[in-house]
Amino acid sequence: MAPELAAIGIVKRYGSLVANDHVDLAVERGEVHVVMGENGAGKSTLMSILYGMQAPDEGRILLLGSEVRYRSALDAIAEGVSMVHQAFKLFNSLTVWENVVYGCEPQRAGFVDRAAAITKVGALAQRYHLGVDPSAIVGRLSVGVRQRVEILKALHRDARILILDEPTAVLTPQERDALLAVIRNLTASGRTVIFVTHKLHEAMAIGDRVTVLRDGRVAASMTTKETSPSEIIRAMIGRAVNLMVEKGPAKLGAAVLKVDSLTVQRAGRPAVDRVSLAVRAGEIVGIAGVAGNGQTELIEALTGLLPPDQGRVEIAGHDVTRRDVEQHRRAGLAYIPEDRAATGAAPEASAADNLAMGYHRAPPLARRGLLDHRALAAHARRLIARFGVRIGSEADEVGSLSGGNLQKLVVARELSHEGPLLIAEQPTRGVDVGATEFIHRLLIAERDKGRAILLVSAELSEIMALSDRILVMFEGRVLADVPGTEADEETLGFLMAGRIREAA
Amino acid sequence: MSALTFRRPSRIPAAPLAIVIGVTVGALLILASGGNPLTAYWAILIGALAPASLPDALNWAVPLVGMTLVAALPLRGGLVNLGGDGQLVIGGLVAALAPLYLPALAPGIAAAVAIVAAMVASGLYASLAAWGETRLGVPMLISSLLLSYPAVGLTSYVVGFPLRDTTTGLAQTVMIPRAARLATIFGPLNIGLILMAAVALLAVFYDRRTAGGYELRMRGLNARFAGYGGVRLASQTVRVMFASGAVAGLVGAIIVLGSQFRFHDGALIAPGYTWSGLMAALLAGGEPLGAIGAGVFFAALQTGGFAMQRETSIPRVLTMVLQAVIILFLAIRHGVTRRSR
Repeated sequence: MAPELAAIGIVKRYGSLVANDHVDLAVERGEVHVVMGENGAGKSTLMSILYGMQAPDEGRILLLGSEVRYRSALDAIAEGVSMVHQAFKLFNSLTVWENVVYGCEPQRAGFVDRAAAITKVGALAQRYHLGVDPSAIVGRLSVGVRQRVEILKALHRDARILILDEPTAVLTPQERDALLAVIRNLTASGRTVIFVTHKLHEAMAIGDRVTVLRDGRVAASMTTKETSPSEIIRAMIGRAVNLMVEKGPAKLGAAVLKVDSLTVQRAGRPAVDRVSLAVRAGEIVGIAGVAGNGQTELIEALTGLLPPDQGRVEIAGHDVTRRDVEQHRRAGLAYIPEDRAATGAAPEASAADNLAMGYHRAPPLARRGLLDHRALAAHARRLIARFGVRIGSEADEVGSLSGGNLQKLVVARELSHEGPLLIAEQPTRGVDVGATEFIHRLLIAERDKGRAILLVSAELSEIMALSDRILVMFEGRVLADVPGTEADEETLGFLMAGRIREAA
Repeated sequence: MSALTFRRPSRIPAAPLAIVIGVTVGALLILASGGNPLTAYWAILIGALAPASLPDALNWAVPLVGMTLVAALPLRGGLVNLGGDGQLVIGGLVAALAPLYLPALAPGIAAAVAIVAAMVASGLYASLAAWGETRLGVPMLISSLLLSYPAVGLTSYVVGFPLRDTTTGLAQTVMIPRAARLATIFGPLNIGLILMAAVALLAVFYDRRTAGGYELRMRGLNARFAGYGGVRLASQTVRVMFASGAVAGLVGAIIVLGSQFRFHDGALIAPGYTWSGLMAALLAGGEPLGAIGAGVFFAALQTGGFAMQRETSIPRVLTMVLQAVIILFLAIRHGVTRRSR
């Protein structure tokens, strides 16, 4: 029998970015199909295509075996596909029934049939044990109940397929359990649910099947019963190419970076929760973790971009807690940021200007506040040659460089700083294999020269290949400190999912 | 895919093209109202550049170029100072009051003291807007503009009531002593011209040759990059605004000490130097040399406009229309470019 919904070879491009690259998805009737992947893996793009909000550049969508072409989300709704968005689309000042029947009202003599609407909505709520009062004002309901109003809306339009986009992101644990129960009721009555999440335990708890997206492609599609959390994690973050980097044993020196009980609050919750760590000269310490577990905030606090709420940061013996970036840099920080175009470079400036940043206040590039443009150009030419950046001239704008080349430029600038500490954040994201290898060799060489390196990467293979020690972050805390030689993917996978017991 | 990298069309040909289009639109307007575009444009040209009218054009250009720099300095770093009017009148008032109420000084020194006092006062006033942004989180676009109104109101009150020249019946101060007036070069030209030229040169030099200019330029291209590289954005905002305000104070002082010899309510802001200057700065995207060029061009256009109004029956508003069309066309170009990126 044909699957309830099938997507075949879906391609969606935004400029040079391929958000969906020949994605196949087959969803059977009555199942909960979990779609997983890290931020930017292409989940949202795929869902908006399935729901008719965007047209794919290539590929087909089949419902029960016959091809459909949506002109808009209205066509998808007419075909029985509904979506509950992360941000609810409700009128807060109206009642539940008004929200539910909006756009599809039961009518009598041209007027909305109020009584019939209330009865119908009430019956639907009861049938699926949603526990929603049709006459309540939506704005006064809790988030969890509002979400059920969204589900009611879909049921009222007789949706056979329900897409839930990260539905648990806004819910408390109790509300989440209630939602999972509702989903079971839905599938028991023959409806199909596509459940988008990046939370592993939810996928295991509710999913019949899991499709994992990575870099816009399907990395794996498996049956939940036959898979394991670590297998899913590997599909989410792993990379096909196995990276082997040759490196000798670490020659450890004194601690260069010392972090004591660092806490960073974000939106009322600790994004970084009492993290203590130390990085010594001559070692690479890797931070592993599923994206969004506090790595970004930790690095922002360590580089001076974001003042921490509590704790202490010391670089090479200087207390730099709550100091600005300049003081961190003067204490000896070099920093390869996560986003090279938004943070690590000024795309419309020349290579010479980009490479001068941080060197522009002292000789040889400047004397008494005056720039020496000839020295600036020479400095740029030297770095371009040494790091093999492919660019016409140092006067060219860097915005036209490929990802790998721009990354080399940023790496060149930061590695040339004499500072004893290097923080490298996603140093090879979106970089081709050749440049990746080159950057890895540079990092090892810097370590052997006695630099302390803190490495953050979403690529587990990169962390494992480079690190002398691996710290695993989960929900803002450092769960484990594993020697690089003893780390294996499965244990790290469990730790990244916050499951300490299985890892032990 | 990497071969298809998008290149933004250069901005340099955009400005001349915009001017050609503005002139064409203006010609059509003159034709539609029954005038002769050639006579009108000839009148503008003669009115601005003929030897007899050149000093007047230069005198008009001094404050306009000054206010262009007031807008261009912050704009180079992606900041917008809309408070030029307020900074201008503060500078003007302080320049008028200093020689009137301080003990008498030798010629030259009295003027210098008045100028420095005006620059410091306006610089500090502009820094208030910067503090509004860095300390209180009020966007400077708003804080600078809103701080302008109380300054205008305050100076108007001061010369209208407590410090008014009661002999004239107008809202103005008494005349400043001769010792504080700017020395003249010849005709209507005074050393304000030389002072402004020096400031303009300094601005270009700062932009191109100093580490501070580099930091400001990088901030304008990508503020996050500058912050990541260790540029102290908050103190930079305050410093740049101080400099910008100080130039506005200088403009106010040059007008008061060089040609009006008193602070007259409304006389500094009525010619609209602030807004013409802002447009000139926007035209060049904050690049100082280009902005100065645009400021001089607008000054010539406006002075020529007065001549045209005298010589022909065409009102000088036409030159403002030309200016507006040029800016609009540039804005459209940049908007279209951005969308296709």
